[in-house]
Amino acid sequence: MSLLAQGVLAAENPVADFGNDNGWVVFGKALFIFVFLVLLTLLTIWGERRVVARMQSRPGPNRVGPFGLIQGLADGVKLALKEDVIPKAVDKLVFVLAPIISAITCFVAFSVIPFGPAARIPFTDIVTPLQLTDLPVAVLFVLAVAAVGVYGIVLAGWSSGSTYPLLGGLRSSAQVISYEIAMGLALISVFLYAGSMSTSSIVAAQEHGVVREIFGLDLTMPAWFAVQLPVAFVIYVIAMVGETNRAPFDLPEAEGELVGGFHTEYSSLKFALFFLAEYINMITVSAIATTLFLGGWRAPWPLSAIGGGMLNEGWWPMLWFIGKLLGFIFFFIWLRGTLPRLRYDQFMRFGWKVLIPVALVWIVAVACWRAANSATIAADGTTRIVLIAVGIALLFAIFGALITGIDRADRRDAARHETPPDEVDPFAGGFPVPPLPGQRLIRSNGIGNGRDDDARRPALAAAGEADEEVHGG
Amino acid sequence: MSPYVPILVLAAIAAAFAVFSIGAGALAGPKRYNRAKLDAYECGIEPTPQAAGGGRFPIKYYLVAMLFIVFDIESVFLIPFAVAFDRLGLFALIEMVLFIATVFVAYAYVWRRGGLEWD
Amino acid sequence: MSGGEAALFWVVAPLMVLGGIGLLFAKKAVHAALCMALIMVCLGITYFAQQAPFLGGVQIFVYTGAVMMLFLFVLMLVGVDSSDSLIETIKGQRVAAALLGLGLVIVLAAALAGVRFGQPAGLDTVNAEGNIGALAGGIFGTYVFAFEVTGALLITAALGAMILAHRERLVPKPTQRELAERRIREGAVKAPLPAPGVFARHNAVDTPALLPDGTPSELSVSRVLTARGQMRPTSERAGEVSTVLAEMQDPFDLTPDESAGKAEDR
Repeated sequence: MSLLAQGVLAAENPVADFGNDNGWVVFGKALFIFVFLVLLTLLTIWGERRVVARMQSRPGPNRVGPFGLIQGLADGVKLALKEDVIPKAVDKLVFVLAPIISAITCFVAFSVIPFGPAARIPFTDIVTPLQLTDLPVAVLFVLAVAAVGVYGIVLAGWSSGSTYPLLGGLRSSAQVISYEIAMGLALISVFLYAGSMSTSSIVAAQEHGVVREIFGLDLTMPAWFAVQLPVAFVIYVIAMVGETNRAPFDLPEAEGELVGGFHTEYSSLKFALFFLAEYINMITVSAIATTLFLGGWRAPWPLSAIGGGMLNEGWWPMLWFIGKLLGFIFFFIWLRGTLPRLRYDQFMRFGWKVLIPVALVWIVAVACWRAANSATIAADGTTRIVLIAVGIALLFAIFGALITGIDRADRRDAARHETPPDEVDPFAGGFPVPPLPGQRLIRSNGIGNGRDDDARRPALAAAGEADEEVHGG
Repeated sequence: MSPYVPILVLAAIAAAFAVFSIGAGALAGPKRYNRAKLDAYECGIEPTPQAAGGGRFPIKYYLVAMLFIVFDIESVFLIPFAVAFDRLGLFALIEMVLFIATVFVAYAYVWRRGGLEWD
Repeated sequence: MSGGEAALFWVVAPLMVLGGIGLLFAKKAVHAALCMALIMVCLGITYFAQQAPFLGGVQIFVYTGAVMMLFLFVLMLVGVDSSDSLIETIKGQRVAAALLGLGLVIVLAAALAGVRFGQPAGLDTVNAEGNIGALAGGIFGTYVFAFEVTGALLITAALGAMILAHRERLVPKPTQRELAERRIREGAVKAPLPAPGVFARHNAVDTPALLPDGTPSELSVSRVLTARGQMRPTSERAGEVSTVLAEMQDPFDLTPDESAGKAEDR
């Protein structure tokens, strides 16, 4: 019955062996993931508030527990003790269903993430991979679950029976689906290099760097896909921020436009579930980024050489995995503390006109490069050279298009802001205007209605007599 | 054991947690009836009798959803191509370049007609 | 069918049937769409159980994610509360529909009755290269033409969507700067609009602000509220205005005539 039994030889199947897992082990691992995610969410909420506070030169929450550590828990309890308001206009069934869908999907997506290699559970003889499960289609599974997760947002917005939640839910889902494409396309080149979609196999594929002979020197290419496939990594990182609705792409909760977005009408623990789901999604995309691009649980380079790779065995890898994960979470928080929110049209334009075409061209370029370096595909020299030429040409096309695009936008901006004249008559239009930086005020009779010419002359005269440049400050 | 059982276990834990939270929230919180409270909050003023445009979405989003499907299907074809790339050979690469070029025609058309402008 | 698979089937299959029934009998269109999504997810799960993990993933990714999302969007385009009209607009439509439906049943029955299964190759043989690898061999080998034609189909889809949903812009979109300049030229209110409730004795958004001369400013109340008739009528406030005026003891020395003229100016 096991998938592993029937096709052990196939390269695409997971390398992790779950043969020893009995019911208790599986339940224990599932429970561990659940507790891990909830605790990490509480920690992330605290960390986010503290870090952003530090970036803004204020202390942040520091009252509840040591360093304010259990602030998140206190907020959760507070929410639980608040009244659960279900407004009259809502569609009750869907209104209650939406947060449940959000919560279940965010947890389930984490089931294929590897925390480490096979390790012995303390006080037992059971050796099991530090991963709940793995599938030959693990990453596709995560994408599919994320696609179902969008329902939580859409349905919450629709069922609230209120204008702003509807618009917020709509924006949010349009945003998530737009960036999901860029995300999926960015992952394709990883599958191409790893030859598998199973997370444990992708981690295994990042074990050894490829040795390549360049000008007579044997150079070991770094093993992490972030280094081997930099464009895919950058696209993924941008898309994961858009996918999780985080700053600077947090348009669904742009308070100035949409109040609270799709969960405006939610209160009490239903609201808390959406909040939890948002943070767990952030953790999940970070975990995917770690697994697919940063070598997963593998120790970073200098550490991996210590003691013949002893830091890549047993329970150590969990430390590296969580460390990399926290690094990504810090990155999310850093972004939030640094960047202003994009406008919706800018956001959609960036996703559809930059990320998607770049990702597609990158896939073709990578495929050409890979084919050129494969002995079976590019058997003779000519094919090889053609493939390399095509790949390099496509790469140049990406960067060329990006640079000319930026250049053109700059020139357009420059053209739009024509230089102001040196001298300005503040009353020329009949309406007093202040001078721009560097402009000189000049005297004129104005073309006003003449009724109160006398009244305003002194002020203008004073400005004119001073006759000094106005300096921008 | 089937590799899907653990997923079901985790899903069951998550579902139990979600349902328990919603139930607990309803039980633990106070219940004080107030007509104003049960009105939609919306944005702070008296709410519209019905959500915007009778609860309708702007048609703009239809285009986004359709383009999403187009690229979704493209990426679904790209996945087996990528996974089995090393075994497929040069012919598959050429096929895929043709396919991507075909879909790019659709993309270029939509871009040129202004379908990707958001206003 | 092994024990686990059978158990799963007997859980998922009734769910799908329930979803199908719900789809037919749901009163709200969105509920029907949700039942449909449930069927799609359950179908994906059965594919997983039948050792077709890639197909299962794609089923959920494409059908539940994309197609159903499009469906929801369309429903919401049409309007969630619109109910079907039962009036026959085309004459004889129902009879024709029934006949065609019957025809479809006959064709389907004939086709299904003629199906003969060959000797199954067995999963192990088919998936020797792995499930995805085997599918890739099919897509990029045996069915390469169909695969390329799919690309053309996608063009058609994008084209159709553009024709249905895209509104061509005849003039370029005005920039914020152009809008601002136009506003100044047209002589609209240059300063920000007065805030509601200011100088009045209420701080609610439906209460117009009082101008320095004591007249209520209609501009201070949101147009939406005015259109809905939810603005507090200014006449109701006449008494309060006089009180305020008395309190202010008319410090600006404005005659009533002048103030009335000013209010009209705005």
